[in-house]
Amino acid sequence: MQPRTTPRQAEKVMTAAEAVSRFVRPGSTVGMGGQNIGRCPVALAHEIIRQRIGELTVVGCNLSISMDQLVGAGLVRRTICGSGNLERFGTTFCWRRAIEDGTLEVEDYSHLAMVTRFLAGEMGVPFMPTRSLLGSDLLRAAEKVAPAGGLGGTAGRTAPPTTPHPDRPVVIDNPWNPGEPVVLVPALRPDVSIVHVQRADAVGNVVIEGFATHEPEMMRASRHVVVSCEELVPNDEIRAHPEQTTVPFVHVSAVVVQPFGAYPTSTYRYYDYDPVHVAAYQAAARGGAGAVREYLRAHVWQCARFDDYLQRAAGRERLEALRRAMQEMV
Amino acid sequence: MPAPPGYSRQELMVIEAARHVRDGDVVFVGTGLPLLAATLAQRTHAPNVVCVIESGVIAPRVRPTPVSVSDPKVMYRAVRLGTLREVLGCLLQRGLVDLGFLGGAQIDRYGNINSTVIHSPGGMKRLPGSGGGNDMASHCRRLLVITRHERRRFPERCDYITSPGFLDGPGARERAGLSGDFGITVVTDLAVLENDPETCALRIAQLMPGITVDAVRAQTGFAPGVAPGVREVAPPAPEVLGVLRDEVDPDRVYLREDESVSAARR
Repeated sequence: MQPRTTPRQAEKVMTAAEAVSRFVRPGSTVGMGGQNIGRCPVALAHEIIRQRIGELTVVGCNLSISMDQLVGAGLVRRTICGSGNLERFGTTFCWRRAIEDGTLEVEDYSHLAMVTRFLAGEMGVPFMPTRSLLGSDLLRAAEKVAPAGGLGGTAGRTAPPTTPHPDRPVVIDNPWNPGEPVVLVPALRPDVSIVHVQRADAVGNVVIEGFATHEPEMMRASRHVVVSCEELVPNDEIRAHPEQTTVPFVHVSAVVVQPFGAYPTSTYRYYDYDPVHVAAYQAAARGGAGAVREYLRAHVWQCARFDDYLQRAAGRERLEALRRAMQEMV
Repeated sequence: MPAPPGYSRQELMVIEAARHVRDGDVVFVGTGLPLLAATLAQRTHAPNVVCVIESGVIAPRVRPTPVSVSDPKVMYRAVRLGTLREVLGCLLQRGLVDLGFLGGAQIDRYGNINSTVIHSPGGMKRLPGSGGGNDMASHCRRLLVITRHERRRFPERCDYITSPGFLDGPGARERAGLSGDFGITVVTDLAVLENDPETCALRIAQLMPGITVDAVRAQTGFAPGVAPGVREVAPPAPEVLGVLRDEVDPDRVYLREDESVSAARR
């Protein structure tokens, strides 16, 4: 049982600054919510950058703009993920550059394999099987580090060794069907996950609307979860519609109220993404280390609060236009 | 050369890809040209196609023109907005997906796909990684790839196998623990390639208008065979072209190439 300083039912509403300083530590493994241009935890990642908390391992399925900004700020040692990119807006340039320069370690998985790792984590079991990765080099990278006599190219007909690499899959035979190879992936339990959601109450009941990617599994697998939300709702509203609660308060450590907390990415039912500002960040990221630091200086370090960034990057009219664009679609 | 046909090679690629979508298929699709092809099929010959998008979207009526799997336009009138585990696990790994659209920087003789890393004398070039690609190639019965036909994209062997095609050839998928009930079709701006049912190697099944077998081989890093009865890709029906232009990508977010199929190639 992990030590707890506050009861789970305590009120958990706090500023981003307080939540990040309490739950994100140098060297933490940080679970990253969002996907591509949808519901990225931009406000919470900005706060990590503002506080310059480094040596992080960032984990998730698709890692996108928030991971890239953390890498650009020089705060990430390692990523474990299924992909890094912003689709139409290009790759995650800081991430790519850091890998190519050899300054960032990366552990590659498929998206399903990452979800399966979180699934093991949230279920309290040490590993979980999958039939993805078989035959691919995503698996061969794992087999290279396996001790002799362990996981071989003979599709794992021998028992797994006692100590495989803690972050890599192994292959075993299906015990019920010998000769059928199955991949085991190790449970992944982030120290803290950061996720931007539509609604939460003060004790941390979370409602995610629309697509939820890998977030429910990842949040329940994490030691701590910090959410930022568009709206703080009364506990009575949660209790009136309990079937709509995505993740209950038991798993959540901090609630930060931050409207537009995913800007410039979208939040389903609340606002669309802003292609202009995504492209502006991408131009800086593509431009190299100097351009990225200039972007971060202007949009994070010179902004005491996330609202200052919203004002500087978008402004009220632009934000309202993004709200209308979403309302027109849902 | 044929008379100017009034459609671009890229439009024909999307239209040809859509022809490989069967009515009633459950189709796993990302954004870009694959989503245009799946949406075009849904709005023409395959009204019962079920699109599944990896962010957790099931059976949407896609609005033009999404730029991401997390773009709200890709979620329009879906029956379920769920989780990645539901679509990649409970549909795809579970075996309920018929066709997957996949992209990649390299595709080799046996249809293996690399979206992770390119090695060259000048160093390594890092790519986005698997995403759901490995999962699709592992669990779909059929794969459809839309790509430009360039020699560097079609090496003898991928630098890194992110998503498994036929691996080393006949029987290799089964040996690795994957289903051998698998097929792959590659639609390019020069040809349609498919796996030879005997050797598992990609071979030329159709040619884009005005393109010869030699022209395809000149842009391929291995020597693809030629399927019996190889023919020219059929031109688009005018009404299908109209749906593509007017309903599927009216702002030409992805349909940007102006090159006509009758124009000289590069």
